[in-house]
Amino acid sequence: MIEIKGLAKAFAISKSNKLSDTEKQDVRYSDKAFHSVRDVSFTCGDGEVLGLLGPNGAGKTTTLRMLSTALKQDSGSVFINGIDVLQKPIQARKEIGFLSADTGLYGKLTAFENIAYFARLHGMKEATIKTRIEQLFTLLDMHNFANRRVDAMSTGMKQKTAIARAVVHSPKVVILDEPTTGLDIMTVQTVLDFIKSLKDQGTPVIFSTHHLDEVGALCDKVVVIDKGISSFFGSLAEFKQLTPDGDLRQAFLAVIAQHVQQGAA
Amino acid sequence: MWQVYFKELTELLRDKKTLIFVILLPILIFPVLFGIVGLVMATTTSKAMEEQHRYVIINEQQAPEFAEALFYHKNFKKVETTLSSEQELVAAIRNEEFDVALVIPADFASRKAAVQQTEWQLIYNRSSQLDFMYNYFDEMLATYTEELQRNTLSQLGVDPANLTAIIKPVELTRVNTAEQRENIGESMGAILAYALVLLCLSGAMYPAVDMGAGEKERGTLETLLICPVSRTAIVLGKFLTVLTTALMTALITVVSLGVWGAIISAFADLSKVSEALASITVIDLMLMFSLLLPTAAIFAALLLAISIYARTFKEAQNYMSPLTILVIVPLMIAMAPGMELDVTTALIPLTNIALAIKELLKGTADYGLLALIFASTTALAAALIAFCVHWFQQEKVLFR
Repeated sequence: MIEIKGLAKAFAISKSNKLSDTEKQDVRYSDKAFHSVRDVSFTCGDGEVLGLLGPNGAGKTTTLRMLSTALKQDSGSVFINGIDVLQKPIQARKEIGFLSADTGLYGKLTAFENIAYFARLHGMKEATIKTRIEQLFTLLDMHNFANRRVDAMSTGMKQKTAIARAVVHSPKVVILDEPTTGLDIMTVQTVLDFIKSLKDQGTPVIFSTHHLDEVGALCDKVVVIDKGISSFFGSLAEFKQLTPDGDLRQAFLAVIAQHVQQGAA
Repeated sequence: MWQVYFKELTELLRDKKTLIFVILLPILIFPVLFGIVGLVMATTTSKAMEEQHRYVIINEQQAPEFAEALFYHKNFKKVETTLSSEQELVAAIRNEEFDVALVIPADFASRKAAVQQTEWQLIYNRSSQLDFMYNYFDEMLATYTEELQRNTLSQLGVDPANLTAIIKPVELTRVNTAEQRENIGESMGAILAYALVLLCLSGAMYPAVDMGAGEKERGTLETLLICPVSRTAIVLGKFLTVLTTALMTALITVVSLGVWGAIISAFADLSKVSEALASITVIDLMLMFSLLLPTAAIFAALLLAISIYARTFKEAQNYMSPLTILVIVPLMIAMAPGMELDVTTALIPLTNIALAIKELLKGTADYGLLALIFASTTALAAALIAFCVHWFQQEKVLFR
C-alpha cells in the first residue's frame, strides 16, 4: 500500500539563473525557488496498478523520486506499507523496487553482475541471489544476454536488465518511471506482461507513462499531475467518464484544460 | 561499503582509460619519457661538446701564445677576417660568418710589460642552453694568465720555488662528510617526492570523476541512492576505490622505475647509485608509504567531493584542472634550494610530505617530525573525508 498526502518539493534557484518570460508566468517559479511539486496526493492499494500521467515537466519524476526516498519532501507524507519514508528511509527502501527513467545500469558489468550487485546491496545471500536471478531471466526472457556487458546491449535488453535489477529483492511495492519509452513492440509487451504479473501477485505498482493505451490496458487507478498538483485522482472508470465516449486521450486533455482554466491553482 | 568498493574496482579494471592512466602509463610511458628526455639531453650535450666553433681573433700578435693554444684546440677553427669594430663583429656573428670573436686590446703587450690589467672581449651568441664556449675560453685563459703571472714574478726576482704559493696562497680542499646516499637523496629526493605525489593525484583523478559526475551523467547514481545502504557507506566505498587507484599508480610507478633502473644499471656503471639505494631500508620505504597514504586520502576525498558536486564528466574535469596547480606549488616550494624540514615546514601540506620523503631517502629523517607530518596529514585527510561524506548527503549537491 502506498499513501501519499499533500506532497511538496521546491528547489532553490541559483542567483545567476535568470528566469525566461515563460518561467516568470509559471506559478511554480518564485524569486528564490522552483516549486516542482506543490500538492500531490493519491493512494495505491495492494494488487492495484496506478498510472501516473502528466505533461513533460509536470513534476512526475520529482514525485517518484520522493516516493523512492532519493529526494526528501519539504512537506506532506509518504507511507510505504505503513513506513514513513522520511523517518525510516532505509527500511522503506527495502520495500521499494524502483526503475528510473534512465536505466541506471553499469556499462562495464554484465546483466548478471548488475542485478547481483543490487541484490547484494539489498542484503541478499549469494545462494538466494543466483536462484532469484535465474527466475527473473526466465520471466523476462533474458538468458541469451545474461553474460553480456550492458555497453553492448540493445535498448530493450537494457530495459529488461533494469527491470530485473529493480525487482531482484522481491519488493513489496514497485515504482516504474516511463518503463516502456523507446522500446520495440515485443519488449513493451514483455514489460506490460511483467507489470501484470506483479499485479496478480498483489504488488502495488505505480508507473508514469505518456502511453494512454498502456493505462487503459493495465491501470486500476489514474493520477494526473499538472504544474506540481495532482489535478485528477480516481479509478480508471472515473477517468474515462470525464469524456462522453470514454476516450483516454480526451480525458487527459480535459483534465489539463480544466486545470488551466482554474489558473493552475 | 565493501560491495560498493569491489564493484567500483571491477568496473574500473574493465575500463580502458583506467588501465591506461593507472597501469600502462606508469609502467611504460614514464620510463619511456624519461628515456627519451635523457637520450635527447645526452645527444645534445655530446653534439655540443664535439661541435667545432669558427673563431676570429683580433690583434692576435699581442698574445701569440694564447692564439697558438686556441688554434690547436679541437673545438675551434680559425677564420680570417678584416673586421675589427665590435658592431662589425656582432653583425658578422649574426650573419653566421663565424661563431665567436676574441678581441685582444691593441696595447695588450705593452700593458702586460707595464704590469697593468687589461680587458679582453669575447663576442658570441649566448642563447644556447649548453654554453661550453665560455668554459673553453675560461680554461685556456686560466692557464695562460698563470703562465703570465709566473713570467712576471720571475722577472721581478721572485724565487721560482715560491711562485705557486704566491700565485695561489690558499688551496681549499673539500672533504665531504655526506654519504653517497645523502648526496643522491638530496639531488633526487625532492624530484621523486614530486613525481610520487603528482602520480597519486593523477591516479585518483579519473576514477573520482567517473564515480561521482560519471554516475550522475549515466543515471546510475539515483539507482544507487535508493538502495537500503547508508549514503556514508556508499561514499566510503567510492572513496576507498579512488584511494586504491591513487596508491596503485604511485606504487606501480616506483616498481616500474625500479625495474627500468635495474635494466639501465646493467648496461651502465652505476654501482655507487646501486649501493646508495641498497642502503634504503624496508622501514624507510614503509615510512614513505605511510606518508603517501594520508596524502592520497586527501586527494581522493577532495576529488570525490568535486566530482559529486559536478553535473557532468566535463564539468568535473574543469573544476579539477586548477587543483593540479594548487598541488604543484607546495611541491615546488619543497624543491627550492635551502628548504629544510623543521616544525614549521612540517605543517605545510604537501611541502611537508615532499621534504619528508627527501629526508627519508637521504637517511637523515627526524622521526619526531615524521610523526608530526603523519598526524597533521591524517587529520587533514580525516576532515576532508568527513566533508565528502557530509557533501554526499546533500540533495542540492546530488540533484543540482
